[in-house]
Amino acid sequence: MAVTTGEPVPRLPLPGLVARGLTQLKNLGFGVLFLWPSILLFGAFVFYPLIKSVYLGFYESDPLGNRGDFVGFDQYRSVLAGSAFRHSLRITFQFTMYTVPPAIVLGLGLAMLANQKLPGISIFRTIFASTVATSVAVASMMWLTLLNPTTGLVTWILDQLGQPRLNLLNDPDWALVAVSLTTIWLNLGLATIVFLAGLQSIPERLYESARIDGASRLGTFLHVTLPMLSPTLLFVTVIGTILAFESFGQIHILTRGGPLDETKVIVYSIWENAFQRFDYGVASVQAVGLFILVLGLTVIQLRFLERRVFYQ
Amino acid sequence: MSRVVFDRVTKHFGEVVAVDDLSLEIYDQEFLVLLGPSGCGKSTALRIVAGLEDPTRGTIIIGDRVVNNVEAKSRDIAMVFQDYALYPHMSVYDNMAFSMRMRHVHHRERHQRILEAAHTLGLETLLRRKPAALSGGQRQRVALGRAIVRQPSVFLMDEPLSNLDAKLRVQTRRELIKLHRRLQTTFIYVTHDQVEAMTMGERIAILKDGALQQVARPQDVYDRPANVFVASFIGSPAMNFFQAELEGQTDRLVARSDSVEFPLSAAQGQALAKLPARNVTIGIRPEHISLGEPSAKADHCMLAAVVDTVESLGSEQQVTFSNADSTIQARLDPSPALREGEQVLLMFACEHLHFFNPETGLRIEDQRG
Repeated sequence: MAVTTGEPVPRLPLPGLVARGLTQLKNLGFGVLFLWPSILLFGAFVFYPLIKSVYLGFYESDPLGNRGDFVGFDQYRSVLAGSAFRHSLRITFQFTMYTVPPAIVLGLGLAMLANQKLPGISIFRTIFASTVATSVAVASMMWLTLLNPTTGLVTWILDQLGQPRLNLLNDPDWALVAVSLTTIWLNLGLATIVFLAGLQSIPERLYESARIDGASRLGTFLHVTLPMLSPTLLFVTVIGTILAFESFGQIHILTRGGPLDETKVIVYSIWENAFQRFDYGVASVQAVGLFILVLGLTVIQLRFLERRVFYQ
Repeated sequence: MSRVVFDRVTKHFGEVVAVDDLSLEIYDQEFLVLLGPSGCGKSTALRIVAGLEDPTRGTIIIGDRVVNNVEAKSRDIAMVFQDYALYPHMSVYDNMAFSMRMRHVHHRERHQRILEAAHTLGLETLLRRKPAALSGGQRQRVALGRAIVRQPSVFLMDEPLSNLDAKLRVQTRRELIKLHRRLQTTFIYVTHDQVEAMTMGERIAILKDGALQQVARPQDVYDRPANVFVASFIGSPAMNFFQAELEGQTDRLVARSDSVEFPLSAAQGQALAKLPARNVTIGIRPEHISLGEPSAKADHCMLAAVVDTVESLGSEQQVTFSNADSTIQARLDPSPALREGEQVLLMFACEHLHFFNPETGLRIEDQRG
């Protein structure tokens, strides 16, 4: 808002200084005027809850959910070092590894298919992208039906093949995989759209040049497509990781964190503590922990990956 | 070292005919310019040689090999694109190295060739830079360097100078001529700029609507354009045209248009006598028009006209005259300076008239040709 010229500020006589200060104040006023809608929104839905969570983490909650005794960092220490949190942390990381890399590989693959110049390709583009327009609840219900151990399509197929029936969602070894499948399917649309946009921004000339230069298909992919796509890859990785860490809906509908807590990711655990047990203190501590974790991960990803990213 | 032959090459894009039955031989080590207005198919023709487009019909020969079914990378060509198509994520060095890496050229050899090309093009200090950190002229040189290190037998260039500013274009033009001389390789150069074509080409092939109009040395194209299109396309300002009727006998033929009467020489008359009809399209270049004096010789065709616009270039003035419905362009000495609206007498140098068949547009050759 303030006017900076980059040159050393001349020594102003006092009245000048005052005038300058007033101008800056006026500029600041204008800035705030333009910003107030976002300040209001962010304040109400981001900053206030964040500060409140940090605050609530310092207090124990009584069984009715009321704020109890002040315990300072003790609660942070006990919750964050506790086995329950470590367990959901492991599940969350596992879930992220199960969902983000496959969605990137599959999304890139679908985008490359959809990027072909073929008649009717736009129909496929729409189909590939359609999961973007599917809500978590709808997708979860769909997969719940598909995976139903008695009436689901998967069961029917297994029956036809003469294979034993599977109850993926109730099997502690497979429940997380099943939830991950749903999530990959759900995120694939977004990944495909973003990759398709990235692919289409690569000039055709570069491919022609590579053809004349003697690059094979693989060579072209490795030396032209991937580097040109690196900003998109970074974006999808970071956003995908954040989305994975924040997943809740599909777990709530498909497994409710079970069986044997094998799908209890951090967000689900937070929800359970806050809205089932009314232990706002513990939930707040977990939430703050998750926030710091996601922030840290994002910073690391940006730091390390951005070096390898080429922006035009 | 290779010749390139188009043998009855046709290329359709759906309904559009981009290249129409093109037959053309580009000699070994020749600098041939494909010239034409935008959309004439010249870039498509070049891309067919490169292997980036397949011809609908016809044969492409590079050297002694039919290359229709040979992949772009195996055609032993290098191409410089209009927008250079440098790999933006690679340094100048890597851009030049890429094709050699793909071909597994030994790294020492690779390094050597890059240094040589960089030296030739004055790129030594820029090798570590990315294309985004280069000026337009530097990028253009990198694109050239990338082609040079390939040591191809044919260079294909698709309007490589059109993204440069005027001064740099003139300079690079000369550098390309020198480069061609030094490399002693076949160059096929596509442009819509007649100055580039005239100055650089050993021969010019002029295309219109995908069809070859004329292929000849630049001076021949200028002096003896094969048809009305070539005559009007080459030369700036463009040639003036008159529709005229022939009157009189073969040895004393007169071509009479609405505004001017051209007495014709015996040779010209003989050439025109072969025409089936008694009308003809007459063309005259702007530099063959001068200001007439009332006492001028009778064999100069005269025309009274009014000065329309004057564009002074310092060394000359380009003047547009109007006479009834027609406009006439002339290149005149800077003095006397003409004023708009001034009434003058124009004199045509009749020995420099060009004649075209008005039906076919084709040139009618007179005796001096």
